[in-house]
Amino acid sequence: MSKSHALRAVSALMLSSLAAISIAVAKPAKPAAPTRVPGLDQVQSIALANGMKVVVWTDHDIPNIALYNWVRVGSRNEVPGITGLAHFFEHMMFNGTAKRTPGEFDRQMEAQGGSNNAFTSENVTVYQDWIPRSALDLVFDLESDRLANLSFDPKVIESERGVVYSERRLSVEDSNPGFLTEQVQATAFVAHPYQIPTIGWPADIQSWKIEDLQKFFKTNYAPNNCTLILVGDLTAEEGFALAKKYLEPIPRQEPPPPVRTIEPEQLGEKRVMVERSAQTPLLHYAYKSPAANDPQGPAINLLMSILLEGDSSRLHRLLVEEKKIAIEVDGGFSEGFDPGLTWVQLTLPEGAKIPEVEQALDAALDTVVATGVSDAELTRAKNLYASSFWKQIATINGKARLLGQFEVFEGDYKKLFDSPATYEKVTREDVQKAAALVFQKNHRTVGVLESPAPAAAPGAAP
Amino acid sequence: MNRLYKSVAPLAALLLGAFLANSAMAVEPAAAAPGVKVPANQRLILPNGLTVVLVPKKEVPLIAFSGFVRGGALADPPGKVGVGSLVAGLLDRGAGKRSAFEFADAVEGAGGSFGAAAGAESISVSGQFLARDRALMIELLADALMRPHFDADEFSNYRNREIEFIKSAKDSDPAQIIGIYGRAAVFGAHPYGRPSEGSERSLAAITQGVVVSYHAANFGADRATLVFAGDLDAKWMKQALTTAFGGWAKAQGPKPELKPAPRLSGRRVLLVDAPGSVQTYFWLGNVGVDRRYSGRPALELVNTLYGGRFTSILNTELRIKSGLSYGASSGFARPTVPGAFAIRSFTQTETTDKALDLTLETLEQLKHGTLAPEMLESARAYVLGQFPLQLETGAHWAAALADLEFYGLSKDYIEGYGPALAKVDLAETAAVTADAFPRPTDLVIVLIGDAAKIREVAAKYGPVTEMKLSDPDFAPGAK
Repeated sequence: MSKSHALRAVSALMLSSLAAISIAVAKPAKPAAPTRVPGLDQVQSIALANGMKVVVWTDHDIPNIALYNWVRVGSRNEVPGITGLAHFFEHMMFNGTAKRTPGEFDRQMEAQGGSNNAFTSENVTVYQDWIPRSALDLVFDLESDRLANLSFDPKVIESERGVVYSERRLSVEDSNPGFLTEQVQATAFVAHPYQIPTIGWPADIQSWKIEDLQKFFKTNYAPNNCTLILVGDLTAEEGFALAKKYLEPIPRQEPPPPVRTIEPEQLGEKRVMVERSAQTPLLHYAYKSPAANDPQGPAINLLMSILLEGDSSRLHRLLVEEKKIAIEVDGGFSEGFDPGLTWVQLTLPEGAKIPEVEQALDAALDTVVATGVSDAELTRAKNLYASSFWKQIATINGKARLLGQFEVFEGDYKKLFDSPATYEKVTREDVQKAAALVFQKNHRTVGVLESPAPAAAPGAAP
Repeated sequence: MNRLYKSVAPLAALLLGAFLANSAMAVEPAAAAPGVKVPANQRLILPNGLTVVLVPKKEVPLIAFSGFVRGGALADPPGKVGVGSLVAGLLDRGAGKRSAFEFADAVEGAGGSFGAAAGAESISVSGQFLARDRALMIELLADALMRPHFDADEFSNYRNREIEFIKSAKDSDPAQIIGIYGRAAVFGAHPYGRPSEGSERSLAAITQGVVVSYHAANFGADRATLVFAGDLDAKWMKQALTTAFGGWAKAQGPKPELKPAPRLSGRRVLLVDAPGSVQTYFWLGNVGVDRRYSGRPALELVNTLYGGRFTSILNTELRIKSGLSYGASSGFARPTVPGAFAIRSFTQTETTDKALDLTLETLEQLKHGTLAPEMLESARAYVLGQFPLQLETGAHWAAALADLEFYGLSKDYIEGYGPALAKVDLAETAAVTADAFPRPTDLVIVLIGDAAKIREVAAKYGPVTEMKLSDPDFAPGAK
């Protein structure tokens, strides 16, 4: 946080501080959460000549900088045979260039006090660096080098294949929730590449080739397909000068081909049954839903918060506390470039009767479609959204993530600053409409994971 | 963006984080850059003994709190492991004038958060509210700590659900729970060996009465500290906290005692059978060092190099060079008396011995090799460079200052750390390597995997005890 926005945030709160001077006030009035987001005047952006957009948010609170490079490529850009390649590529971006041997990227960054990470989704691949200010020049050198000069060592490819497969075993093959989620997502789509698991199918992990990587890099890692976000202890002038020096010389390329496939409308419920050893069975619903930039997005997010977020949420209350037929409820609206899924995921107690659980869940979802939500529920969801927003805004990392999300998925980082006000405007009618849009049985895929019926061995395990 | 696929580098950091979290002790700030200062704050002790720390930090309209009540699993009565954890979980499930639902609704209705959890030595509470809801925050916190209902229905529902959660964790994430088996195997009957969350068997045997007695014996102003940080007015907070907590009595029971556990010599193996698992998850550990360990700065640097960052020796060997694993890490939990040192990783079932051999070789290499001066410099830069990111928000500072209070440390623990790191030399790193890291021949090794396929491999590393992942305890033959 820079000191200048802090001042404005404080003055906005002075009134409530004075008003609530007595702790004996049992039911404090609930005004709307603060919706004015300071900082827009601290953010500047430019487009480099090669088409890369650079956004800088100055914040001198700590002597560090968060850098996010958002690349518009994910598993939705894959085809059979190379599934998982976007994610594998994310790993390979740390594994050597024409100028640096494999491992140099991390060794140099850590030796100057920086750390890094990256993640891949269906939609994007995002590279993250957290550095002390003193490593700013180095981090631009490192980031530009791997965009301009990435190289592929066949030995490293083989070794990294093992790493990614181990990641898959951890998160999918040895994890019941990971396994079922993959099955449901693959079943939900008949045409659109959202059916592809981001980690990749095992056979593809084992067999993609160096030529696949080279082609993927050339197609997708164009500077004009990237958005660079910098937040922290630097000025916009510093950030832009370094971007021009290191990144602008990388030539613009033909933009990657658009994803043409549109998922045809689903005309009936689909079901996927998985038999795997499980003490606690799982039940997942995945409903076809609009894209991230749909105007109903905020209403869908608030709807899912009302249903799933926290111990006072509707489904937790009903299924976990009252009926005791689930031990946990989870899920949410998965926002992407293309229409995707909204999830309701239940973990059930041992011995659960799944048809009974489905019946109760269906009835609860029918009710929200038929009668909507209460004022109190909507206010609660808005307040949860606001406080989560402020928690993210409290760190340079959270700011970098939010700026990137709004720039990439909503088309303009400035929308971040309107976000609390946008959510504040959502009405009960909007939420009910969102429920009617999302919770259509014909548009859903149901996934069940449970142990196979016992053949023998009574009393083996609890 | 709810389903971003996380990956790469991080696993070292992630595993280390999980390591510290599982040990359920307050996470300590890693290090301090020279010049990093603890923000101005006020500390007061109420007449009843409650310690309060207030840290104004007005960048966002939030107030975070972090606090503790001494005891935790340490205060669990014999044979009732997990009582502290149930007490923690039930604090907000009905308290003061609110039922469980009303309490949750009050917290979430205001967009706030409230959490409590038992660790080995304390029950910690933490949360965050919008600053405008400060009065509500204090009212809820006071109710939860001083006036929990421990209602019979809520108790049995919550306990039963906790039992199901343990089963669910076994179905979904062996890497997350392996440390519980590890600490039980290293510490045995010592309090640090207890699974803070309890086991399926121990939870099933706990009654409502035991929970009520635990609260009476261990909860009291003299055992508690509360730290608030964020957009707060210290004067208002003082008055409000005095009013809300002034009537809190002292704890009725004796303070639980804690003696150091001995380090183990020799090697033994616990094999936890998970039929059908395609990977072997492993944990190698022994008793390490305590919070006041004099070699702390040097130890932080050596562990950073050994298993505390992406390019660490462990992650380089097991991930970067060999592709055997998605990640490998090491870490020291440093509670009041020496806690666990542990190495953690996993690999596909077929390469279990290869990965274990490599792990043991790295430890051998660490114990008998010497650090290159440029490695020491790299670790120093890394620890110093990452430090400010860990003390950025009100929530960070609340947790860090609560940690100082718990262990009775001065702010020099944070402010003097950067200068201390700057002075560490190779003689000191050699000394802590010899002293704090176990020899490869002195380790408890826990393997979670498909026993039918790795039973013979396991026997290569020491005498094997075997149990099933589905057993209702975290140690073989536990009662």
